[in-house]
Amino acid sequence: MATVTLDRLGKRYAGGGAPAVQDVTFEVAHGEFFVLLGPSGCGKSTTLRMIAGLEAITEGTLAIDGKRMNEVPARDRDIAMVFQSYALYPHMSVYDNMAFGLRRRAMPKAEIDRRVRVAAAILGLEPFLGRRPHALSGGQRQRVAVGRAIVRDPKVFLFDEPLSNLDAALRASTRQELIRLHRRLGATMIYVTHDQVEAMTMGDRICIMDHGRVAQIGAPLDVYRRPATTFVAGFLGSPPMNLLPATVADGRVRLGEATLTLPARVPEGPVTLGVRPEDLVPVPEGPLRGEVVAVEPLGAETILSLRLPGVERELMLRAGRSAPAGLGERIALVAPHDAIHLFDAATGCRLT
Amino acid sequence: MWGRVLARAAVMLVIVLWTMFAAGPFLWVATISLRTTSEFMAAPYALPETWRFDKFATAWTGSGYDTYFTNSILVVFSAVAIVTAVGAMAAHALARYRFPGNRLVYLLIFSTIVLPPQITVIALFQTLAKLGLYDTRVGLTLVYAAVQLPLTVYILESFFARIPADLFDAARIDGYSEWATFWKVAFPVAMPAIATVVILNTILLWNEFLYAVVLIADDARRTLPLGIQKFMGDQLEDYGMIATGLMIAIVPVVLIYAIFSEKLIQGMTAGAVK
Repeated sequence: MATVTLDRLGKRYAGGGAPAVQDVTFEVAHGEFFVLLGPSGCGKSTTLRMIAGLEAITEGTLAIDGKRMNEVPARDRDIAMVFQSYALYPHMSVYDNMAFGLRRRAMPKAEIDRRVRVAAAILGLEPFLGRRPHALSGGQRQRVAVGRAIVRDPKVFLFDEPLSNLDAALRASTRQELIRLHRRLGATMIYVTHDQVEAMTMGDRICIMDHGRVAQIGAPLDVYRRPATTFVAGFLGSPPMNLLPATVADGRVRLGEATLTLPARVPEGPVTLGVRPEDLVPVPEGPLRGEVVAVEPLGAETILSLRLPGVERELMLRAGRSAPAGLGERIALVAPHDAIHLFDAATGCRLT
Repeated sequence: MWGRVLARAAVMLVIVLWTMFAAGPFLWVATISLRTTSEFMAAPYALPETWRFDKFATAWTGSGYDTYFTNSILVVFSAVAIVTAVGAMAAHALARYRFPGNRLVYLLIFSTIVLPPQITVIALFQTLAKLGLYDTRVGLTLVYAAVQLPLTVYILESFFARIPADLFDAARIDGYSEWATFWKVAFPVAMPAIATVVILNTILLWNEFLYAVVLIADDARRTLPLGIQKFMGDQLEDYGMIATGLMIAIVPVVLIYAIFSEKLIQGMTAGAVK
């Protein structure tokens, strides 16, 4: 167990260009499950690899348990990492894959054996200890990769998109396994993913990254409910938050031809209005009126696309099992005050 | 239906013809190795009337084949060991590490492949003479290792380049140094390619004649191809003994192939890393 502190961490590759990672600052607490989330190329994996010691840190400091780690080689950081490709040694058995890191540490044979067997028992790998990785299924390989991290009993576990090579069903069950594992070990874990479902369900806190910078850090639901930027608002949620150009004037928001009362005091001028599809409620009479241009019945819910007069972008609405209106019909909607988010039109930063 | 049978028959015919073409001379030499030269001259294609296995003993003890065989084993196996180790390390470094001039070094090593041995052999002779390595097994071993290095690096580099970088990152986190990672991860993972170069180099060097004949003078240090040549005189050629020598000579090559062939086929057929 350990804390991991990043202070204005940055990565600039030789040969110029924009930095891959810039000004990343956060602290991961003892036993916390911390998720780095973002689209590909946002710098999340690079950040993780800097924590692991696989990439040199070019700016800022990294500390584990308060000790500066910038110059400490990977092997002395007491971390373990699970790779997206699993990176199992193909010429070694499952047992040897797990024992490999312990042998380097000159651990007594009996202790290595005990640890490997304990980890194998936790992960249900006992029947496969003698097999080579190529004789295992994707899910089993993934568990071996996790086992290799567990046996080390490291201060910090690092996960780099460990579930993205699994099929959807296996991904869901492995997610649950990892959550249980975290509870059982109580270890500090840093987890990189581009999958918002993983981030929302697994993380104690999530850090959303965009273009090498931190966009927002917080508990998953807090981030979901109060996104700090239009990027975060658009990245979390499926379908994502509706983000529509609007104008604030005379204490009201004008959205196309519709006018809404302001949820809070904001300066006058152009803004981006955000509202989640599930926060829009169909009513007989309401301020937002539009025409249904698409209906997507998904079984448990129905997604409707609406066109509002004077608004270029379509508005998405998440309704129940049955659609409140058919294609081409008009429908009125309201959104509760606390569901309306206003962002600066130029910077994308939250105003309310 | 008949079309498929005919197609199969055609394929079989080609295979049978090719096998006869390849194995025929071998079997012929095998029969000659059991006959005397005069028997052979009388009827070149006849089967042995008496199976003279004692010729092997005569060749081994009386004609110095024991010495040539030992020399060949020493020189070729040492050279293969050296070229495999050095070649694998070079290939690993060229495939994995980014450093200025990486491709230039690779090109320089590889470009020496185009030089025929006849061009370099005189210079090598003079170099070895200056170093005091002329007419020594150590000298020949070093030359063998050097001439096989480019091909070895070429074959291994492309294989090492396909080993996923994550494996090396994992080994780094597991606490292994670059040196240990090479021997414990890269080298074993590349085993199919290693087997390929071991077989290839063993066969090529086992039969090597030109460098050996130029760089070795003393009979006690001759390798097998030189020893067999001894039976080709100016006036008389002892075909019977040459054949016996050849049969002795192929044993190690066949053994090496038998040991490594499974890995060889793996290396040639599959991306063995996944």
